[in-house]
Amino acid sequence: MTAPLIQASGIEKRYPNGTLGLKKASLSVKAGEVVVIVGPSGSGKSTLLRTFNGLESITGGEIIVDGQRLDRRGADLRNLRKRVGMVFQQFNLFPHLTVLGNLTLAPCKVLGLSTAEAAERARKLLSKVGLADKAECYPAQLSGGQMQRVAIARALAMQPAVMLFDEPTSALDPEMVGEVLEVMKQLANEGMTMCVVTHEMGFARAVADRVIFMDAGDILCEEHPDVFFDAPPHERLKTFLRQVLK
Amino acid sequence: MSTSLIRWLWHALAAAILIALGAGLYVASKRVDYTWRWERIPQYLVSNEGDEVRAPFDAFVVVADDSKSVTLNAMRGSDTAAFDELASVAVGNGDLVFEGDVLGKKKGHLGFGTLMQGLWLTLEISALSLVFAMLLGVIVGLGRVSKNPAAADLAAFYVEVIRGTPLLVQIFIMYFFIGTVLKLSAFAAGIVALAVFTGAYIAEIVRAGIQAVPKGQTEAAQSLGFSGAQTMRHIILPQATRRILPPLAGQFINLIKDSSLVSVMALTDLTKAGREVVSSTFLPFEVWFTVAGMYLVLTGALSFGVRKLEKRFAARD
Ligand SMILES: Nc1ncnc2c1ncn2[C@@H]1O[C@H](COP(=O)(O)OP(=O)(O)OP(=O)(O)O)[C@@H](O)[C@H]1O
Ligand SMILES: [Mg+2]
Repeated sequence: MTAPLIQASGIEKRYPNGTLGLKKASLSVKAGEVVVIVGPSGSGKSTLLRTFNGLESITGGEIIVDGQRLDRRGADLRNLRKRVGMVFQQFNLFPHLTVLGNLTLAPCKVLGLSTAEAAERARKLLSKVGLADKAECYPAQLSGGQMQRVAIARALAMQPAVMLFDEPTSALDPEMVGEVLEVMKQLANEGMTMCVVTHEMGFARAVADRVIFMDAGDILCEEHPDVFFDAPPHERLKTFLRQVLK
Repeated sequence: MSTSLIRWLWHALAAAILIALGAGLYVASKRVDYTWRWERIPQYLVSNEGDEVRAPFDAFVVVADDSKSVTLNAMRGSDTAAFDELASVAVGNGDLVFEGDVLGKKKGHLGFGTLMQGLWLTLEISALSLVFAMLLGVIVGLGRVSKNPAAADLAAFYVEVIRGTPLLVQIFIMYFFIGTVLKLSAFAAGIVALAVFTGAYIAEIVRAGIQAVPKGQTEAAQSLGFSGAQTMRHIILPQATRRILPPLAGQFINLIKDSSLVSVMALTDLTKAGREVVSSTFLPFEVWFTVAGMYLVLTGALSFGVRKLEKRFAARD
């Protein structure tokens, strides 16, 4: 059996102001798995996800990503980040670059691809997310759903081993949520390893291998979606599900 | 009445007020018996003066009949020298002249008058100090946002010291102290003083521009594996540049105006040239209005150029 792609053991995150964002959380994600993380606001979902690529440093415990301990800064951390793609709630596209520029900058500068190679890779990914005709547009000329699909393609252009999504549809108008979830479903079907923080319970039920419930910096339970939604094992989870599903 | 007509009337009112002010000034100057002599100003912009011709050695003068050429016969030895096609001759036949005496003037050729030469020096000093100030400002601005405490401390110290002292005092220090110790010319000392002064303000503009780029941009870049320097160069600075441009233009204009202070160190910039012309002509109103107009042309051209540049940047989104 292969080692898990992400192995977080007893990680703790105390913010400089004293807030405890994570208390002794443990989670392991195997290659090809899709893990969905849900929980009330402020429960530490973003914090957990952001520790997986070192955007948030940890103050206790240990994280091993793709066989490498994630504690050092500098070059090691950068090498690791090439293998971990991240998609943000606010897209965070680079507004001064075209869509193509957004997709080719990191492959060129970080992976050392030639401009032609990077552009070819970018165009393939753009047609995959249905935006082949938008290569020369600037982000400001796109709709929210289109921007988020570009952001997904930008992360994929690094050919990562795992993709992290932090509420990728929360900033979108309802009619655009579907197009982004569709792209994510397709990715999952292709066997991409994914950690997804979302409030889209339909997506969790349909795509997740496991659903994780967080509350107040703790992972309270992790279950197969059928169990998670149909026979919630936890009182706190039942209350949460009643609120979000009504 | 249509709104555009009303707006037009307000503009007309503004113009009328300005004209009234000008007329008031004219009437006031009449009261103190000031005679305007604008006709004497152009010669200080464009001069037609020929260079003076001086005797190369002690000699006796022979002036030709047409009063246009002068021949010199050396007092000692047998040297001779001839000067043809003079516009005016200042010596007479048989005169004895000594080395360095003025013989006359050559034909005039079109050249810069005192004020234009001053404007040119102002332009030179402003442009050179601008280049150094930009370099300094970007480096110090990066130091201000640096995670390295030493770099941040030094940058903050520099900015505080420079912004907390008057430019005139800095120019004196630069001229009398550093100029003497490092043997800098007044020209170099002026450029250094202006660059150091303006650099501190540019550093603050650069810092503000960098900090105005949303944090998500840095996070996205880091998630893609960019190093800190790559993030700065490819992601942050290009976005900061657009925010920096308008305040930077204002700073450039300030630099041109501040450059008038270097006239205290024996540099004949536009302001000093103005003072010289006033003291030789006693035409303070005409000269200072002309000088102000020349500064306005410089700063106006600059802000026009920057507005063009801003439009080019803005066209992207
Ligand atoms: N930079 C920070 N400094 C201090 N406290 C923070 C910081 N970021 C988050 N926190 C705190 O850590 C806790 C977990 O926050 P986190 O953003 O991970 O929650 P979340 O589950 O993602 O919430 P949401 O659903 O609103 O995004 C919260 O109590 C939050 O206030
Ligand atoms: Mg969050």
